[in-house]
Amino acid sequence: MTIRNVRDHGQRYRPRMACLKKMEALVVEMQDPKSGVKSQTQRLVITTIPHAITGEDIVAWVANRFNIDAREAQSIGTLMVAFGYVYPLQDHKRLIIKADTSLYRFQTPYFWPAQQWPAEDTDYAIYLAKRNIRKKGVLELHEQEHYNNLHKWMNHKWDFIVMQAKEQYRAGKERKKPDRVVFDCQERAYWVVHRPPPGTISAIDYGLDRLTDPSADEVKKKKTMDYYRRIVIFTQQCIMRSRVKSSVSLGAIVKYITTCKNHDPFLATCLPSNPWLTDDTTYWELNMPNVEIPTKMRVERWTFGFRELLSDPRGRADFRLFLKKEFSGENLAFWETCEDLKWGAAATMKEKAQQIYKTFLAPGAPRWINIDGKTMDITVKGLVHPHRYVLDAAQTHIYMLMKKDSFGRYMKSTVFKETQKKAISPEEHRFSDAQLEQNAKKRKPNLSPIVLRQWEEEEKARLAASGPMDITQLCKFTAPVPHLAVYTGICEAQLSHGRERLPPSPSFPALPNSAACPSPISVAIDSTPASERKFEGQGGSAAAQFPSIAEVPLEPRVSASARAPDDPQPASQKSRVALSLGRFLRRGCGNASVLASLSPKCHSAMGGRVQPLSREPISQPQPKRIANFFQIKVDIPPECRIYPIDSEDEENECTSGVRGTVKEIICPWESITKQDQAG
Amino acid sequence: MNRWRRSVGELQARRRPLLECQRAQAAFIKVTACLQLQATCLGSNSDCSRLREELGETRALAHSLCTGLQKRLTTLLTQGELPQEERAEAERLWVLFLSGLEIFQQDLQKVILLQELFPLKQPRDRLSLVNTGGSGDGIGVTGRVTMSQMPWPKTQDQDPCPDLSTQISQLEAMAQEMLRKVNVPFWSVEATQEAWADSVDTEQDDEPVEEMSVENVAAGPQRLGGCCHYPGCRVLCLLN
Repeated sequence: MTIRNVRDHGQRYRPRMACLKKMEALVVEMQDPKSGVKSQTQRLVITTIPHAITGEDIVAWVANRFNIDAREAQSIGTLMVAFGYVYPLQDHKRLIIKADTSLYRFQTPYFWPAQQWPAEDTDYAIYLAKRNIRKKGVLELHEQEHYNNLHKWMNHKWDFIVMQAKEQYRAGKERKKPDRVVFDCQERAYWVVHRPPPGTISAIDYGLDRLTDPSADEVKKKKTMDYYRRIVIFTQQCIMRSRVKSSVSLGAIVKYITTCKNHDPFLATCLPSNPWLTDDTTYWELNMPNVEIPTKMRVERWTFGFRELLSDPRGRADFRLFLKKEFSGENLAFWETCEDLKWGAAATMKEKAQQIYKTFLAPGAPRWINIDGKTMDITVKGLVHPHRYVLDAAQTHIYMLMKKDSFGRYMKSTVFKETQKKAISPEEHRFSDAQLEQNAKKRKPNLSPIVLRQWEEEEKARLAASGPMDITQLCKFTAPVPHLAVYTGICEAQLSHGRERLPPSPSFPALPNSAACPSPISVAIDSTPASERKFEGQGGSAAAQFPSIAEVPLEPRVSASARAPDDPQPASQKSRVALSLGRFLRRGCGNASVLASLSPKCHSAMGGRVQPLSREPISQPQPKRIANFFQIKVDIPPECRIYPIDSEDEENECTSGVRGTVKEIICPWESITKQDQAG
Repeated sequence: MNRWRRSVGELQARRRPLLECQRAQAAFIKVTACLQLQATCLGSNSDCSRLREELGETRALAHSLCTGLQKRLTTLLTQGELPQEERAEAERLWVLFLSGLEIFQQDLQKVILLQELFPLKQPRDRLSLVNTGGSGDGIGVTGRVTMSQMPWPKTQDQDPCPDLSTQISQLEAMAQEMLRKVNVPFWSVEATQEAWADSVDTEQDDEPVEEMSVENVAAGPQRLGGCCHYPGCRVLCLLN
């Protein structure tokens, strides 16, 4: 017995299937002895059975009836078979119609699909038990599995099932032989339709169950005052909605269609062939997520928009490669981790959010991304009580950044051009009918999702391992000197290399590692603060660049302009900035080179993170340089960290004891005890 | 109660209601199986008024079995103290009866729908019957139906068999009432039959349909026990 009276508001009604009624009417029409389909007799070894019809007769009749061409008639015929109104006598597992002499027969109305009643599991169990009783070992693999499952879940009525199966079997034996054969065929056909073997498409598949019963009559609502009031509110809300001109929305649709129409498998041919039609899986193999060489169509899709590029794993990998070359992969990494947070398990969410903050957003983070102050504010505030969408604003910002900037450059880059050149365009298959049959017989089940999932995980792990440039790791001198409290020391040696050497930024974990492709504006604006900061450092507080690991939230980057970043800082630091600026101006030197180093071109050359050679030499003078590394880490624009490799004073670089870089990054919501400490 | 005090007769008397119920349950299953076979012919070319009459008779028999069984089982389980095994047996019967009731109800719903869809009032209605290959000679299960008898005297509280739609709603009401009156957790019932039941008879004159249908075809390879040719498939199928 099944549980009745479920009072919840779950969805349990099958949706309206209007096609069934139409199909039934058609089948009844086909029975007419004069105008219906001609029938033949099927000859079997032991008996003959009437009322067999050939596929070509069916197709011809349908084509005639509706005045359509043969191909469409064939698809209607296939639908009839797929729904179970007609079943094939040979090759009973393939529910299609073949327009040749293969035989079919009509299904008895008892076994027609009904919208109101799904095929019950109990009946299926009885059917399987019956077949097993009749002859052992005749159940197929998937049927055996179902059988075992049903035995487990319906254990309480198992006796009933077996007894009923036996009774039905015995009752069936009372019938005459041909009738028995017919009945067995009918029953088998019914279950092929309603419990299809794995790997086949079922026409009965209708998606989700509905909340209301579509077959129930609609209750006539009494038109009370309340009813009219609701209608009024509803229409008022309709009016209040914002409207778009149809020319605009239609224009968007037209644009979409023109761009994508060659990529739609319904409207254009798939190369090499559509696996659903020809049962040949080359197309899927060529388009696997981590295939080495993508197809030309796939690559073309990437050009449609940034979203297409990101959503295709191969495209994303290509993009990642490009960003790696540009040393701005942290944006993509951040975006991906945000996605992971959004879609991941709830249990680990808090830790993930914290981890993300520590890795990407905190001042002094190893893979710092460059987002504007307002967003950073919102994010940090949200992180006090993290939830799934807490990083949404930052993620959107970074997404837009990548879209407006990196994407364009990716499209023009050599990476992409290489990929485009290497992309393959397979030849179209041209299968003959016999080959199609062969293919159908050789159908294999798909890769198990478990296996696919494992691959995905491995891929992720590989990426994570190979990954990300943690600037702290890159620099040799990352001997974190935590707790470097206030160092008032002035870093002397620094001075010589004032200019470019800018902050040995790279070695600096905290340096904002924003995209190596900052927008020109930010470059310009940031250059100033950068230089200042640099000088701050130079002038003895090499620390300027050292992101202070303090709890101070990052200042707004851009506009902030030179001054802004300082505002949130305590007054003491303001002076420092002013001081450094003064020094800068005094220095005068290398301004040009400084700024030059800050120019975009250099960026691409350098890329924020890797500071290969420059680092080497520096080591000793560390401690001295430390200076006030605890100070605020203003958003150090990427330029800061980028310095041309050819700079002569490389050696002396890095000095900035920036080493002092603290490794630990404290999240602002943690105890704000160590205001002045590094960590 | 002291066992030794009971006489054999007493014991038998005690067990009679339970035995009756078991027999009735077996008969009920038999009758519903026959009903289903008859229902499969509705709307096909072997449909005729005689079939529908026979269907009606089967239905009536099922109805009386049903009502009788329901009364007896309910009384057994609500009153009377039963020893442990008997109680378990009664509960098992209860669950089996309810399952049978569901199937019976489903079949009746289909019957009513099909009888509406394919009325046989006029001769030309026969034109719309679906040609399914049946022989049109009747089912032959009527013998079986009459074979199964009610284990209790016939005249006892016999209500006339109601018509179809009433019967369906009656069944529904019956099921609800049963669920309300007796509280039997159906998961506590365990199967006494094994999963892969043995063949009923030893006679194997029944070729399975699979082999028969290969008849007219350029025979494709027989593929028993595997759903496809792919050798590794078995493993994956099990995984799926």
